[in-house]
Amino acid sequence: MDPAADASRTYPAGRGGQGASFWGRLVNAPTYRAATEAVFRSPRRQFALLAAFPVLWVVFAHLGPIVQMFYVSFLDAYPPSIGETPQFTLANWTGFFRESIFVMPFMRTLAFATVLTLATLILTYPVAYFLAKHVKRERQMIMLLLLLIPFWVGEIVRTYAIMILLGNNGAVNLALSWLGLTERPIPFMYTGFSLSVGIVYLTSLYMLLPLYSALEKIPATYAEAAADLGAGAWTRFRRVTLPLSLEGISAGCTLVFLISTGYYATPVLLGGPSTTVFAETVAGFFHTAGDQWPTGAAFACLMLITALVITGGFMRLMTRLAKGRRT
Amino acid sequence: MTRHTRVLMSVIYWAFVVYLFVPLALMVVMGFKDSNFIGFPIRSWTLDWYGTVFRDAEVLSVFGYSMAIAVMSTAISLFVGTWLAVLLAERKFFGRLAIFGLTVLPAVIPGIISAISFRIYARLLGIDPGMFAIVWAHAVHNVPFVALVVIARLGTLPRSHVEAAQDLGADAIVTFARVTLPYLRPALIGGGIFCMLLSFDDFVRSYFLGGYEPTLPVLIFAKLRSGMSPEINAISTVVLVLTAVLGLWAERSMRRMNRA
Amino acid sequence: MSKLILNRRKFIHTAAAGSAALAAPAYLRPARAQAGGVVNIWTYDSFVPESFVERFQKDTGIEVRIRLVDDQGKQFNLLAAEAPDATADLVTVAGHRFLQFIESGLIAPLDTGRLNNWDAIKPVYSESDWATIDGEKWGVPILSGAEILAYNTEAVPPEDRDSWDVLFSDEYAGRTAYIIQDMMSVVMLYLGYDGNMVEYIDDPDKAAAIVTEARDFLIENKPKVRKYYDAGAEIQQMFVNQDVVLAHAWNGPISKLIMDGFPVGMSIPKEGSYGFVYTLNVVNNGPNQENAYTFLDALLSDPEIGAEMTRETGYLSTYKGAEQYLSELEQQASSFPDEQLERLKFFRAEANDLKYGLVDPAVEEIKAS
Repeated sequence: MDPAADASRTYPAGRGGQGASFWGRLVNAPTYRAATEAVFRSPRRQFALLAAFPVLWVVFAHLGPIVQMFYVSFLDAYPPSIGETPQFTLANWTGFFRESIFVMPFMRTLAFATVLTLATLILTYPVAYFLAKHVKRERQMIMLLLLLIPFWVGEIVRTYAIMILLGNNGAVNLALSWLGLTERPIPFMYTGFSLSVGIVYLTSLYMLLPLYSALEKIPATYAEAAADLGAGAWTRFRRVTLPLSLEGISAGCTLVFLISTGYYATPVLLGGPSTTVFAETVAGFFHTAGDQWPTGAAFACLMLITALVITGGFMRLMTRLAKGRRT
Repeated sequence: MTRHTRVLMSVIYWAFVVYLFVPLALMVVMGFKDSNFIGFPIRSWTLDWYGTVFRDAEVLSVFGYSMAIAVMSTAISLFVGTWLAVLLAERKFFGRLAIFGLTVLPAVIPGIISAISFRIYARLLGIDPGMFAIVWAHAVHNVPFVALVVIARLGTLPRSHVEAAQDLGADAIVTFARVTLPYLRPALIGGGIFCMLLSFDDFVRSYFLGGYEPTLPVLIFAKLRSGMSPEINAISTVVLVLTAVLGLWAERSMRRMNRA
Repeated sequence: MSKLILNRRKFIHTAAAGSAALAAPAYLRPARAQAGGVVNIWTYDSFVPESFVERFQKDTGIEVRIRLVDDQGKQFNLLAAEAPDATADLVTVAGHRFLQFIESGLIAPLDTGRLNNWDAIKPVYSESDWATIDGEKWGVPILSGAEILAYNTEAVPPEDRDSWDVLFSDEYAGRTAYIIQDMMSVVMLYLGYDGNMVEYIDDPDKAAAIVTEARDFLIENKPKVRKYYDAGAEIQQMFVNQDVVLAHAWNGPISKLIMDGFPVGMSIPKEGSYGFVYTLNVVNNGPNQENAYTFLDALLSDPEIGAEMTRETGYLSTYKGAEQYLSELEQQASSFPDEQLERLKFFRAEANDLKYGLVDPAVEEIKAS
């Protein structure tokens, strides 16, 4: 539609003849009309107006710090010692490939993130589905909020609570021995298991919301129609619900994957000697002497690029999948 | 759906609730333990830890400080995130993918890196450490989440709604305010709560960008140095109750506003 | 203490208050701080006793603003990010970490002439070899820590409490924990080398060989360790949860467990171990240097303050005569027999560049293996 041709029309006043609403008055105000006309006459100008602020924001607020980090990753020392100018070097980047020791936690992190993303998806999908499809609409919000309550407790406090849950002398082991199921405590803590318990706790939050919002907007009539056509429950799910929730799955998985590559505190506290993640390695460079910052920055950039490439590929795959389903 | 799957689903939901709440329950219980350390066995109980929390005005003022930061950064994130989402969902344009990438960038940078880069950048811009710096860092970090949720919601906005409004003579601004924004409401509420959570729970950015006034996680981290005492659990429990009360109050007043 | 403060106060009124009043408009400062301004301190939780802070504020009119920190590295990063316009006046650095702060120009040499109570510190700390760098003193020692062997007294018999051997024995496999960075130094000592690496400062090849040996030793023993941990709270929780019965730890956290009645004990094993000292340091370019010295002098004025620090943190006091203010349990929990103390060496910073250049990557290798 051409807004310019349309400018002569007036916006009708509020519903049911309540008189001129705020919007009605605004649109009919001469100054507003003059201003908007000038902008909306050209779609290009309209777009420029829409784009200017967000583009500036992402460039300055989002990109700025990262550019700084990239810059630091090419310096030989940061923050520079007083009276010395830092020199440019590639050593921080090549260090990763030279020392095979860093590859291991790097790959481990990617593997962990993949597995944990899948685990989170499998665990939270039924929860989101139940909320969106089986709970009365007016109760959905409150039951969703119920799931958010634990997150108002700081990560660290929660993590220590998981320690006293899973410890040798923790709640689970005490319960098991009280029930007579075990003679010796089972060492849950400081294993891949305790790590997963802690991480999935965090990631479920990021998965649940996109899944819920995708599932919630699938009209019930679709499934009913499929049922009328004789489709069984599984077929209905596979052919109707699942494809329509792909977008939520893709958003949730992307978020969870990216975020779980960066988890630091929980893996450090709940993991064991053999579960060192890359974030720990990177943080190590920032905790120790200052001349290690550039290396840390380079490694962080590396992780970032890899994670972005992987999720980029994943999202492309999901889009293709979603398109394929539709045709 | 058959009855069985329905029952199974609800079992899974409640099992999930149990998984989330058992650590929480343990935390609350440990706040009453008469010892300097949490854990089993509990030999005697005390209310002293709660007494300490209320006697020490610091915790409450720190809670207020953290809340203020959460609210302010969330407001900024919602504003910027929605705008970005509208831009990205609008149409295809040159550089759209790049803008999208930049939008999600802050969400995917490991916390410690982002904190240090923010700190260095803040120095470059001449922003002093303190409340403003924290609000800024939290806002930037949370924008992607708002943008993603809103983009997802915009994707389902029926074209017909927008077209109908335009047929009635509404321009882009009015259409956005009267059609799009109301449709986005659930996404904005969800995104807003999420941002508040992230801000409230953030340690590493608050630590690096903070001044002498600690946020709650910063305070807890520092207290942890001398051990995970029941006091920290008592603090967290009090905070939990306060947020729950605030949340209920906000929900009720929002509903009342809607009715009016 | 009041007397000392009175003298100081006069001085402040004439000199410092004048300049402080010029520095900031009056409405920006809380009323109570007007007499003496402020002092900004970065320190660990409960290192500076609250009772002392209250008294000090009342006596001097100087407002004490404490920013709690939880890690040496983070503190360094924070201070480095602020430099050269520091907002802190005093920071808390472990003695063997000085060098890093000094080299980056973050802390200033300490003018002990401005501290009337400098003699209140035990000479073993104030005059120790690590304390002097470039002919200057760099910090006021307040608390002393040690790398110790901690054990569960119910699970570990007395004969297993006197050697680092037990951490690597099959008997306790899966029930031990250590701080891997610190353990590298301890293992070097355990294997018969100088864990400070000062001896090898001119022989980098030898140093590298030793670090490799220690690294391989720890990798070989990796299947037996339950957890490489970082924080004191973690090891406390592991003992409480009975996840471990033996551990390498710092004395502070373990001492706190003992004071609370847990069946835990600690020793300095016969192979020896390392000690370190927490010091308060005057920040280079800090905004309130005069107040920083006033604060330090007042802090040293009474051994009871030292005792209170030990009670709160579990670390040994550096104050002469602080012990007499501790209860028997507190003394027992926080001290070692003399024959064990003799096994303790202090960490040294001279070879830090060499040492950590080798140890940091080795630690990553152990973790990654």
